[in-house]
Amino acid sequence: MIKLRGVSLTYPNGTRALDDVDLEIEKGSFVFLVGHSGTGKSSLLKLMYREEVPTHGEVQVDGIRVDTLRRGRVPKLRRNIGVVFQDFKLLSHKTVWENVAFALQVTGTRTRDVMRMVPRALDLVGLSHKSRMFPSELSGGEQQRAAIARALVGNPKLLLCDEPTGNLDPSNTTEIMELLQRINLKGTTVVVATHNQAVVDRMRRRVVRLEHGRILHDDERGYYFRGLGQTAVLP
Amino acid sequence: MDWGRLRFFLSEVLTNFTRNAGMQFTAIGTVAVTIVLLGAFLYVRDTIQTFGTGVLSQIEIAVYLKDGVDDNKAQELAARLAADPRILSATYVPKAVGLKRMQTVLGRDFDTSLLTSNPLPNTYHVKVRDPDLVPAVAASIARDPLVAKTDYAADTVQKLLKVATILGRAGIVLIALLSISAAIVIANTIRLTVFARRREIAIMQLVGATNMYIRLPFIAEGMLAGVLGAALAIGVLALADTQIVPKLAQTLQFVSFHVNAPLLSVELLGVGAAVGLVASWLSVGRYLRA
Repeated sequence: MIKLRGVSLTYPNGTRALDDVDLEIEKGSFVFLVGHSGTGKSSLLKLMYREEVPTHGEVQVDGIRVDTLRRGRVPKLRRNIGVVFQDFKLLSHKTVWENVAFALQVTGTRTRDVMRMVPRALDLVGLSHKSRMFPSELSGGEQQRAAIARALVGNPKLLLCDEPTGNLDPSNTTEIMELLQRINLKGTTVVVATHNQAVVDRMRRRVVRLEHGRILHDDERGYYFRGLGQTAVLP
Repeated sequence: MDWGRLRFFLSEVLTNFTRNAGMQFTAIGTVAVTIVLLGAFLYVRDTIQTFGTGVLSQIEIAVYLKDGVDDNKAQELAARLAADPRILSATYVPKAVGLKRMQTVLGRDFDTSLLTSNPLPNTYHVKVRDPDLVPAVAASIARDPLVAKTDYAADTVQKLLKVATILGRAGIVLIALLSISAAIVIANTIRLTVFARRREIAIMQLVGATNMYIRLPFIAEGMLAGVLGAALAIGVLALADTQIVPKLAQTLQFVSFHVNAPLLSVELLGVGAAVGLVASWLSVGRYLRA
């Protein structure tokens, strides 16, 4: 699903966010990107949905070379990728229903399809009964579920989450992680960037640990730190 | 037609538009002022032009014959005038007829009973095929031994037309400058609405809306401002047309105030829409590229 080869990213201000990263993520998998803030987790996600272009290296998503993609092709790429953020990025003047529908409407989906797809996405995240509410009337967990519904309403093959539980309390965090797992079971590839150790250690999924823009370790069924409770040791 | 999509689009444009109402009023006002000036200008230019060409096409050279050239002798000149290919027609107006015409034109103020003799000369009224040739024809006729003097109004008319041309050019420059300033105001307004909607735009880009789609509501908004400004201007011009022009026409009776109002209105609306289109296109384009 995702292939990064020799990827480096240096921002215009000289910050080196990523340094020669190789990473492969299979279709249908669930992967944690972990590490302290500022280690390049978000940058890595941004490369995947073409918010950033690598300074060096190749980025492939679902067979498409993203790093060399023409600007005009970017919208089509993004329709196949759902993105979820720590701050939800919901529109405050629109209801939950409108927020979810917005993603479809602005990509030119027929009204008939919007009417069919929005309830399905809301049902998946368990927000059908609050579809007429505004984001300010929802709890943080519900807002994030609305954002996930928006990310998924177009049936993307890939869901990227950048600190999805960063603003949530533990019980809402658990709820969201369970939802992401359910989404993954339906066949969507899910990549979650987080520094929430508890979540990572409980889920026991693939863990890719970044440090200073490099991959420090990459374990199937891993922990936040390599070896439960241990401090990471440089190889 | 997918009415749901259209409704969504229109509601987006409208919320956008009303959110920055104050700024939009400024934009609409600027467009309106520009277009009022443009309209007034076109009106004046058209009036001068129709007046000028109208007069020019009917222009006659008055050929005054020398004293003592009687009706028979005048016939000789008729033959010579008829031979000139540049001349369309030549009508002989004997002095008695001339006096009578003068009386009908000037009416009661002109009392012929005070005259002891007819002061007018025998005259030919000569029409020329091409208004541009009037000076040359008049000069050559003036050399005829029977002719005392030739007279024509073409000089004045041609000057008038030249003024109209210059006015036209100056006007284009003026209107261009005004349009640019109107466009800048609209562009700034759109930039504000773009800024107010940066979250929406970010989400649109994130979920894969094309730049064209993101642009469209802003462009519609810019065009709306332009068209509303133009409509306002047309209202002002129409008011001027009914209130001021009749008074002018009373004092300047010889000028026919005529302008193709529906056509002019469509043109002005077009200008408003175009200014709005260009301004918003550039303004959003810059944001999306950044």
